[in-house]
Amino acid sequence: MRGWRDSIFAAAFFLFMAAFIIFILTLIISDIFYIDKKAVVAVITSRFIRHALWMSIWTSFTTTVIALFFAVPAGYVLSRFRFPGHALANSIVDLPIVFPPLVVGLTLLVFFSQTALGRWIQEDLGLEFVFQPKGIVLCQFVAAASLAIRSAKTAFDDVDRRHENVALTLGCTQWGSFCRICLPLAWNGIIAGGILTWARAFGLFGPLMIFVGSFRGRTEVLSTTIFLEQSVGNLEVALAIALLLIFVALIAITVIRLIGGSATVKL
Amino acid sequence: MIRTEQISFHIGVFALQGVSCEVPTGQYFVLLGPPGSGKTIFLECLCGLKKIDSGRVYIDGREVTTLEPRARNIGYVPQDYALFPHLSVEQNIAFGLRVHNFSHKGIMDRVTEIADLLEIRHLLSRRIEGLSGGEKQRVALARALVLQPKVLLLDEPVCALDEVTRQEVCAQLFRIQRQLGLTTIHVSHNLEEAFSVADRAAILHQGLLQQVGSLDELLRKPNSEFVARFMRCENIFCGEAVAQNAHTCDTKVKVGDIQLRLSGRYNGQVKFMIRPEDILVFRGSGYDVQNENLVPAGLERWRDCGSYVRIELNGPVNLVVHMTHAAFAELQAKHQPLDFARDRPDVIVVLRPENIHVLPGF
Repeated sequence: MRGWRDSIFAAAFFLFMAAFIIFILTLIISDIFYIDKKAVVAVITSRFIRHALWMSIWTSFTTTVIALFFAVPAGYVLSRFRFPGHALANSIVDLPIVFPPLVVGLTLLVFFSQTALGRWIQEDLGLEFVFQPKGIVLCQFVAAASLAIRSAKTAFDDVDRRHENVALTLGCTQWGSFCRICLPLAWNGIIAGGILTWARAFGLFGPLMIFVGSFRGRTEVLSTTIFLEQSVGNLEVALAIALLLIFVALIAITVIRLIGGSATVKL
Repeated sequence: MIRTEQISFHIGVFALQGVSCEVPTGQYFVLLGPPGSGKTIFLECLCGLKKIDSGRVYIDGREVTTLEPRARNIGYVPQDYALFPHLSVEQNIAFGLRVHNFSHKGIMDRVTEIADLLEIRHLLSRRIEGLSGGEKQRVALARALVLQPKVLLLDEPVCALDEVTRQEVCAQLFRIQRQLGLTTIHVSHNLEEAFSVADRAAILHQGLLQQVGSLDELLRKPNSEFVARFMRCENIFCGEAVAQNAHTCDTKVKVGDIQLRLSGRYNGQVKFMIRPEDILVFRGSGYDVQNENLVPAGLERWRDCGSYVRIELNGPVNLVVHMTHAAFAELQAKHQPLDFARDRPDVIVVLRPENIHVLPGF
């Protein structure tokens, strides 16, 4: 039976959670009250905004898939193997998380426009990123993939190595043990990393403005559209787009959570 | 049969140092040792989960030192069982069969057979979460046995279980091992476990195999003070040989103020032991305390240890004696009940030379 001290403890902790949620909801509701019907209609009917929405969705999901493709092996290596420079590699993986967003854009721009390797990729290989839709994915990947790798590493850390060892004695190869045991057990953590990656990619703004710009109907995504609209004084439209972005994000995160199981974010 | 030759492995500051032993086919071998002695690492070396620095491993005469774990045909049950939590009991047991691409019918037949053997058929559809410790242990054992391995390695298989379940599981392990004629290495730090299952045992300490033999040899003929103490012998003494009797082939050893007769010829410093259950204690008159190996002693304290009574005696040498409850009751009833607090009654202790074991290499 719970005593009054336990009840106070639970109530106090709930208070903090409730305060945060109420604060966030208040901000969103104040946005809703600020916008008018005209702004909503403008957002719904605008071909460019629909295009920006579609660009935001496909680039962020592509980025997430690519990031997870890197995160699973990279996270496993960081979790399971000890090698010279392990601590340094671990830190480098985390580096893009602490990069100021503008630095990501600037760094990419300098690499592709000022270095021989970057120019070779763009000009000789024909993989153009600067001011191109592909550049959006690259920008988002650099800014967000660390979150996926970090989550995958933590998820693999939580899988008891003895499970894999037993699988090896039961006839599995290292690959078989990874696929049959390690990956399913780490799945929730990997999905959580995917959610974080997608969220970061979906809302990314600063690096995109520098590396790919915001060309209507070409490289414009929702976050850059918001910036453009507010910079020309269309605050109601900017907020209506922001609400659209929030609404899509809410649906996407909920669906990913439901599909991916009880994904919990651990960093 | 599994045989190791001079296995060496190091990790950090710890090292297995040239461990050699042989477990014949069908034998239940218990590897004892305190925590941190290297027992689990040794098992992992046998499985191939750790790559050894040097040495060889043979299974049924075939060298498997460089083979991968999956090619060694070893059943391994790690500590805490490491059951796959995302699979059901049936899927856990069938895991190895599925990896080996058995047919569906073959899988079902084998799983049912092993589940019947271990009496866990009713658990097959259950999730791992929610099984009791004993049930988990049996599922892990079934998962290891279903592939019909040549050797079974059990790492502390019952350490997480309560006393009653532990005894039941040990009895079941022994029954199944005998039924299948399986060569088994069971790692433990618990002597009671060893007594309930072992045909033969060994003691590992700091990566070195201290002694291999029957439990009786480990108990009564330990080859070092560590083995003697690990086997719970507290009566270990140092003395000096003062006289040898060429006729009877024995030696008188001075310990403190008394002299004890030991079987065999010894010179100089001698370290010896006598097991607490091999000491006889008498009370009352009729014994000549000047006779050899009759030691007068005072009863210091006693403690009921369940299946025996532990008595501490002090005198020329301090002794610990284990007596049955019946023997202790008889000792009490001789004249009047013992009152340790009041009068510390004296007793006569008999240390028979044939029960005294001299520790080698001292």
